[in-house]
Amino acid sequence: MQASWEIFCSVVDNYGDAGVTWRLARQLAAEHGLRVRLWIDDPAALVRLCPEVDASASRQWQAGVEICRWPADWQPVEPADVVIEAFACQLPEAHVVAMANCGRRVLWLNLEYLSAEDWVGGCHGLPSLQPEGLQKFFFFPGFAENTGGLLREHGLIERRRAFQADAAARAGFLQSLGVQARPGERLVSLFAYENAALPGWLDALVQHTSPTLLLVPEGRILGDLQRWLDMPALAVGAQAQRGALRIQVLPFVRQDDYDRLLWCCDFNVVRGEDSFLRAQWAGRPLLWQIYPQAEGAHWDKLEAFLALYLEGLSPSAADALQALWRAWNAGEEMGAAWTALQDEWPELCAHAERWCARQAARPDLAAALVQFYTDWL
Amino acid sequence: MKTAQEFRAGQVANINGSPWVIQKAEFNKSGRNAAVVKMKLKNLLTGAGTETVYRADDKLEPIILDRKEVTYSYFADPLYVFMDGEFNQYEIEKADLEGVMAFIEDGMTDVCEAVFYGEKVISVELPTTIVRQISYTEPAVRGDTSGKVMKTARLNNGAELQVSAFCEIGDFIEIDTRTGEYKSRVKA
Repeated sequence: MQASWEIFCSVVDNYGDAGVTWRLARQLAAEHGLRVRLWIDDPAALVRLCPEVDASASRQWQAGVEICRWPADWQPVEPADVVIEAFACQLPEAHVVAMANCGRRVLWLNLEYLSAEDWVGGCHGLPSLQPEGLQKFFFFPGFAENTGGLLREHGLIERRRAFQADAAARAGFLQSLGVQARPGERLVSLFAYENAALPGWLDALVQHTSPTLLLVPEGRILGDLQRWLDMPALAVGAQAQRGALRIQVLPFVRQDDYDRLLWCCDFNVVRGEDSFLRAQWAGRPLLWQIYPQAEGAHWDKLEAFLALYLEGLSPSAADALQALWRAWNAGEEMGAAWTALQDEWPELCAHAERWCARQAARPDLAAALVQFYTDWL
Repeated sequence: MKTAQEFRAGQVANINGSPWVIQKAEFNKSGRNAAVVKMKLKNLLTGAGTETVYRADDKLEPIILDRKEVTYSYFADPLYVFMDGEFNQYEIEKADLEGVMAFIEDGMTDVCEAVFYGEKVISVELPTTIVRQISYTEPAVRGDTSGKVMKTARLNNGAELQVSAFCEIGDFIEIDTRTGEYKSRVKA
């Protein structure tokens, strides 16, 4: 019988917790034939990523995954063979006791945040000595060989390339979102937290010599966009034109459709962890808004990723991309950095595809987790 | 109970009923304001060593051990020898000093604390702040007195750390031994 796995997800804010754990759960079930249970304390967060989910159900099956509401008053259940606490969430104490007393070995994994920093490799896979003889390990996703890899479904890159090569498929998908791209328009997606740098960047797009269609899925950036446009509340489907810039607000789409949106666009602005990674798999230039942390801890993480990502770029292209990312994350003026980036565009496009291929050549996170369990046995 | 991030090299925790001395502790911020602590541990009963990771807010039970004030005396390969006020000598292996090795140097006068498990010294803790001299660094950067621009400096024992760009060879600096980081330049 295949091993049983359970993933615990506590939704703190936004969609990263739910997005990453839902992807992982689906992949473990679909590609590794595992029995997977996803405990989530706020199933409503999943509904936007997978509209079939019933936010009121305490237990349901979707995409081969058992989704359970993680109740505040925890009721005892038989632990799975592998228990994953995602993003340092705190397992119910009674469940930890049950893991220790269930009469079989249970592998306890803490799935950590994605970071490109050097120290991650030194911590990946290390045990965390626990009372009651339980075996807990820290599992770090990452970009380097000595980490747990990145979430990537089997055949993702091939599907993406086929889609990008199929103009009719792209047009059909965009049409399903109510988007009609005009000839010559550069497509850009924007998914971001609030950002003081937005007006400067939009101003630069307005002045640009070639037209841009900015596609903005519902999210936290809409408030800034609305203020810049000086329009009343922006609803899904809202459109506006300012100079060379055309803007359209899109619905918040399910994960697979968000992938397609990224694949359609020439440039993707993303945030946090999940969309950041999906934009890399899109093989197109990207701009990352990192999750801001206390004491500016996020800057080390941003610089660590840039140090890896910029490898192999010409100095001028690396400087241009770096300047843009830093300005965006600092909430500073973007106009000059955006203009400088245009001269490097062909190189940045080729580089994005190379980076994607390089990362895709490594074992993916789900496969690495399964291998870790096999080795542990 | 203490959180993992409160433990320092040289302190001892009770884990699964065994005393483990923390030989090295590294704090790193992970994501969304969370943090982890990587520790190098040695089991005081078996001598076995291991590396482990805790969340910074994981709770561990500290074991309070006997301590005695000592000063560094000399190195008698492979042991480091410390001496107390009554001229008793205590030997300790390099591995047990790993967390503070970067600050051990001949002639140092810092009053340290030797930590005992039974009769044996299992670690030595340095004061939170110590003063060391820079033996080499690149020339000072003119004009920058903010202290924010950093450069590498070598201490008399060969250890390297980041210091403010205005520091020069021969300067004395304060170091925080909990983090290993430069704090400020001091007058000799």
